Amino acid sequence: MDGCIATTLGAGDPGAYLPIFLMIMGAIGFACINVVGTLILGPRRKGETKGIPYESGMTPVQSARKRFNVRFYLIAMVFLVFDVEVVFLYPWAATFSNLEPQSEQAFTWLVRIMFFLLTTVVAYLYGFRKGVFKFD
Amino acid sequence: MIEMIQEFVTSQLFVSVHVLIVVAHVMLLTTAYLIYVERKVCSYIQDRVGPNRVGFDFGQPALAFLKGKFGLGQPLADGIKFLLKEDYAPSRVDKVLFTLAPMIIIVPALIGFVIIPWGGQWQMGGPWTLPIIGSLIGPIGGDLVHVVGANVNAGVIYLLAVASMGVYGVTLGGWASNSKFSFLGGLRATAQMISYEIPLGLSMLSVLLIVGSVMPDSIIAYQINHGWLMFTQPLACVLFFICILAEANRTPFDNAEAEQELVGGYHTEYSAMRFALFFLAEYCHMITSCAFFALLFLGGWDLSFLGFGPHAFDPVATSIFGVLAKFLVFFGKVIFLVSIMIVIRWTIPRIRYDQVMMLGWQTLIPIALSVVVLTSVMVYFGQTGMVPMIIANGVLLVVIMVIQPMLRSWLGNPTANRKIPMYGSRFNPMPGELVNTAPSDPIALEDRPVQGTRPAAT
Repeated sequence: MDGCIATTLGAGDPGAYLPIFLMIMGAIGFACINVVGTLILGPRRKGETKGIPYESGMTPVQSARKRFNVRFYLIAMVFLVFDVEVVFLYPWAATFSNLEPQSEQAFTWLVRIMFFLLTTVVAYLYGFRKGVFKFD
Repeated sequence: MIEMIQEFVTSQLFVSVHVLIVVAHVMLLTTAYLIYVERKVCSYIQDRVGPNRVGFDFGQPALAFLKGKFGLGQPLADGIKFLLKEDYAPSRVDKVLFTLAPMIIIVPALIGFVIIPWGGQWQMGGPWTLPIIGSLIGPIGGDLVHVVGANVNAGVIYLLAVASMGVYGVTLGGWASNSKFSFLGGLRATAQMISYEIPLGLSMLSVLLIVGSVMPDSIIAYQINHGWLMFTQPLACVLFFICILAEANRTPFDNAEAEQELVGGYHTEYSAMRFALFFLAEYCHMITSCAFFALLFLGGWDLSFLGFGPHAFDPVATSIFGVLAKFLVFFGKVIFLVSIMIVIRWTIPRIRYDQVMMLGWQTLIPIALSVVVLTSVMVYFGQTGMVPMIIANGVLLVVIMVIQPMLRSWLGNPTANRKIPMYGSRFNPMPGELVNTAPSDPIALEDRPVQGTRPAAT
C-alpha cells in the first residue's frame, strides 16, 4: 500500500457484507444493554398473585399450552409452498427483462415460467376447493 | 497485520459504517418521536389534546425555560420510565425464550434499513489521513462511494429476508408467556404475517421484472429515467402498501393485539424494557417498510419530475450537499408514508380476523399472481412504458373485478373439509340442538381462591 487510493468494494465481494455483520452486532448489543439495564435499574419484588398469567382478573384455568386450530398448520404449510415458489422466481425476474423483447429465447423463458406458475395455480385452486383458505 | 487492515478498510467501508451509525440514531430518534406523533394525531382525531406537559426542565427551576409547551419531552420520559420499571416475568414462563423473544424481534427491525440507498453516490475528497487511527487504516477518500449501509449484490432480497425474521420473535413471545391471550395473539400474528408475505413478495417481483435488477441503485436509476413505478405498476403499489400494513401489524390488520379480544396480544405479559423493545420494533419495522415502499414505488430520493436543472437533487450530483439533499428527500417521503399509516390507524376500524386471512389468501394472492403474469407478458412484448402499463393494469383490474366474485362462488364453498355438525358439540351442534355453553371442566367449576390470598370465608 504505497499511499495509493483504496479500491471501492464490489457489490459481489464478501467484504461488502461486513457492515451488515457490524450492524447485527450493534443491534444485539442494543437489545442486551436495554434488557440488562432494566434488570439492574428496576425494582424486584416477588408475589404469589403477581406470578399468575393475566386473564382479565379471572383465575386462570389450566395451562395455556393447549391444542389449537389445525388451520394454523395448514397455513404454515401452504405458505412454504408459495414462498419457495416466489423465491424461485426472483433470479428469473432479475434477468428476464434484459433479454431482447419478442426474441425466441425470451419466448422460451416466458413459456417455461408460465408453466411453473401454472403448477402453482393448480395447487392454489386445489387448496381453495379443499377449504384451506376458508376461515369461519 | 497493518497491511491486512489497510486492504480491508476501504473508503466504501468507512462511509458505510458512518452511514450506519448516523441512520441508526436517526431511526431510533424518529421512532421515539413517532410514538409521540401517533399519540398526538390520535388525540386530535378523538378531539383531545394528547401529551402536552412534559418538557426538558426535569423539575429544576434553573431549567424552567425548557418547560415543554407541546409535551416534546414525552418520549424521553417514557424511555426513562420503561428503563426504571420492574422487569417482571410471571411464574411458569419459559424464562429463556421469554427474554430472547424481544431481542429476536428488535434485531431484524434494526438491521433492515442497511441496504436502503439514502443518498445516492458521493465523490469523496481526499485522500485524507485520519488523525488518530490514520496510521493504522491508511489514507481514506478520493473514491466514488455509495452512501448506503451495505452495498451488497443481494439487494432488495436481503430486505425481504430480514423483514420476515421478525415472525420468530412474535411466535416465541406468544408461546413463552404461558398466557392464553399471548398464545392466541402470537398464533394470529404469525399466521397473518406469513400470509401477507406472499403477496408482498409477488408485488415486489413485478417491480423487479420491469427493472431487471435487484440492486436498489438500479431501481432508483430506472425510475429517474422512466418515471416512478407507482404509475407504471399501480396495482402492485396498492398491494404492497396493504401488505406492509399487515406485516407491521397495523390497523386495519392489527388482530394480533386486538384490545377488545386479546388484551395486548403477544406482549400481554411483558413489562418494562422488554415490552418497550416490542414497541420499538414495530415502529422501526414501519420506517423500514415505508423506506422500502419509497424505494420501489416513489423513486427513492428522486425528485426530478419537478424539473430542477443541475443542482443538488440532480441524480449525477455527487457532492456532499447532493447527498444530504437526497437523504432529506428520501426521509421526507418515508415520514409522509408513515404519517399515512398513522392516520389510517386512527380512522379505519379493524377487520375481523377471518376476514383478514380470507382477504390475504382469496383476494390478494390471485391479484398479485395475475399482476406478475401480466408484467411478464408486457416485458416479453417490450411494452414496459408508463402508458401501456397503466392501460394493461386498468384492463386487469376490470377482469379481476368480474372474475374474483365468481371465483369465490365457484370455489369458496368446499365440500371437503367442511364442518360436520355433531350431537353434543359445543361449537358445531346439530340443527335445533340445545347447547350447554357453561364450562364443564371440573377445575373451572371448583370454587378456588386466587393464589396467594387467603381462602374465602366459609
